Amino acid sequence: MRNRSSDTTDRTVNRRQFLAGAGTVGAIAIAGCTGGGDGDGLAGTIDASGSNTVAPITSWTGENFQNEFQDVLVDVDPQGTGAGFQEFCRANSAVQSASREITDEEIALCEEEGVDYDFLEVGLDGLSVVKNSENDWVDNITLEELQMIWEFESDIELWSDVRDEWPDEEMQLHARDSASGTFDYFTEYINGEMGNIRDDYSATSQTNEIMGAVADNQYAFGWGGLGYLREIEDDQPIEAVPVESDVDGDFYLPEEDNIEEGLYSPLARPLFAYFNLASLEEEPDLIGSFAQFYINNAQEFARDEGFYAAPDEVTQENQDKLDSWLEQVGFDRDDLSVQPE
Amino acid sequence: MSTDTDEGLFGDIDLGWEHTKNKLFLGLIFAASMFGVVMLALLLLDVAHTFYVGLTEFNISLVQFFTVDGSRRPELAGFRGAIIASVMLMLFTAILAFFIGLGTAVYLEEYAPDTRITRLLEANLANLAGVPSIVYGLLALAALVNGIGTGPILIAGSVALALLVMPIIIVSSQEALRAVPDSVRNGSYATGATKWQTIKEVVLPAAMPGILTGTILALARAIGETAPLLMVGALFTNRMPFGPLDRFSGMPTQIYGWAAEPSQHFIHLAGVGIVVLLSILLTMNGVAIYLRNKYETEV
Repeated sequence: MRNRSSDTTDRTVNRRQFLAGAGTVGAIAIAGCTGGGDGDGLAGTIDASGSNTVAPITSWTGENFQNEFQDVLVDVDPQGTGAGFQEFCRANSAVQSASREITDEEIALCEEEGVDYDFLEVGLDGLSVVKNSENDWVDNITLEELQMIWEFESDIELWSDVRDEWPDEEMQLHARDSASGTFDYFTEYINGEMGNIRDDYSATSQTNEIMGAVADNQYAFGWGGLGYLREIEDDQPIEAVPVESDVDGDFYLPEEDNIEEGLYSPLARPLFAYFNLASLEEEPDLIGSFAQFYINNAQEFARDEGFYAAPDEVTQENQDKLDSWLEQVGFDRDDLSVQPE
Repeated sequence: MSTDTDEGLFGDIDLGWEHTKNKLFLGLIFAASMFGVVMLALLLLDVAHTFYVGLTEFNISLVQFFTVDGSRRPELAGFRGAIIASVMLMLFTAILAFFIGLGTAVYLEEYAPDTRITRLLEANLANLAGVPSIVYGLLALAALVNGIGTGPILIAGSVALALLVMPIIIVSSQEALRAVPDSVRNGSYATGATKWQTIKEVVLPAAMPGILTGTILALARAIGETAPLLMVGALFTNRMPFGPLDRFSGMPTQIYGWAAEPSQHFIHLAGVGIVVLLSILLTMNGVAIYLRNKYETEV
């Protein structure tokens, strides 16, 4: 009997110990889940759609924002600028990254769906015109020559068709296909009309394929986003071509100073983040704080992700915009969880 | 002499050529059977190499890999969120698919009369098993994510995966039930047990190892599925989910996301992720084989 009862006691104690242990583990787990977000009331999900190119900046901003406010989730879906605007204008996302400005069609869609919006400028991207490193005849290229080479029904076949002193060799042309915002931008600013391009070049959706093809062939020529060139130019025989500036007519390489000072134009483009003002009105602190956080850090985060920082004036313009949005929805800027720096 | 007879009968046949053909054919089918093995070996070698380079050249720490969520910075990124998400996906997929699948199998094997409707049901299940996985993702996207408006949450992914593996669970459970000899059932009836008692107390326990094996193999398939999760929209969340209503990204989708990054560091993170995913898959398959061997001889 005695033995039995002591057995039972032992077992009860064990079970109690187990329960206490499990309780502690559970409590720690729950604390782990909610910890960090207690001090500040920001919580919720921010849906972000948009450009494949700009998404890295928005994601990186979102990740840092999440680290500061643990109960917030910033969900960035980089489906492309065009596809993203379809979501954004149907009020399926609060933030939309864009590698170009909104088009008339998209404006009409947003109006139809009653979505009121405005945008911040979050950084600069450069388009690089690239040649093989063994190509020693091209030292620079004018905007007119670029248009001659790339426009619809261009009759340029040989390098010598562009400038007489260049070799009698066929040009191998590589560039992005029509699915990309980069393509939209290049065709609009070089060929004068979005979508205007010759139809006999190698078109691809992968910028790294363009860079690889140009690195492989001395007579190849192409263009694409600068980030990819920066990834491979140290290891492979490929380099950027200085392009004529429409500011002062000189030739500039796509380098940080030239881009940030606005000299590498028109092939440097601004990158945008559009905000749905109805979402801001609904959750002014959450969306407003995110916008403020974006403004405060855009220069740094754009550089972190391989882009270029928009000038200081743009930061000020962004701040003025956010102030006016907050005024419009009747929220005091001093109440934001993130304050201007 | 026998040789004389041979020459007389087969004199017009070039035996040497026939033997060569024999050998050629043997070589051909041997090469065919080796093809898959060689490809698998190449794949494993490639993954192992990426894994090794990732650990040595990119200094990916396995401790960090298992304890930190994903990040835009490859040196800060880990796999924890994706592992937890996949485990939770499996859990809910198992709950959703197992009971419905087993119920269907028991009905079809033990109760259903052999009518046209039953045969139609079985034919449809066979068709369902052949539906491409992305279609189930599309269904979950249309019905749950956009239809009900849940957004890309974990339970939506589980529903897609459960639909995907349910036919596999049904078919393997049916086979396990069929393997229970009728004499066992009749013995039970002879003691006066009802049909339900017989199924519950005799048939299901006997078939359970086979059913579990099939279920584990089905879940092993589900854990590696990428397409339905991509369709549901589970790609860009880095963080650990805490419940079925949280947004998520499973192991395959996290690997997919990493592999699409231009940075080599991310690509090697993907390699380490693949090794983790493969290890979990092999473990699940190992458990299934162990269960099958352990209970094979009983009944």
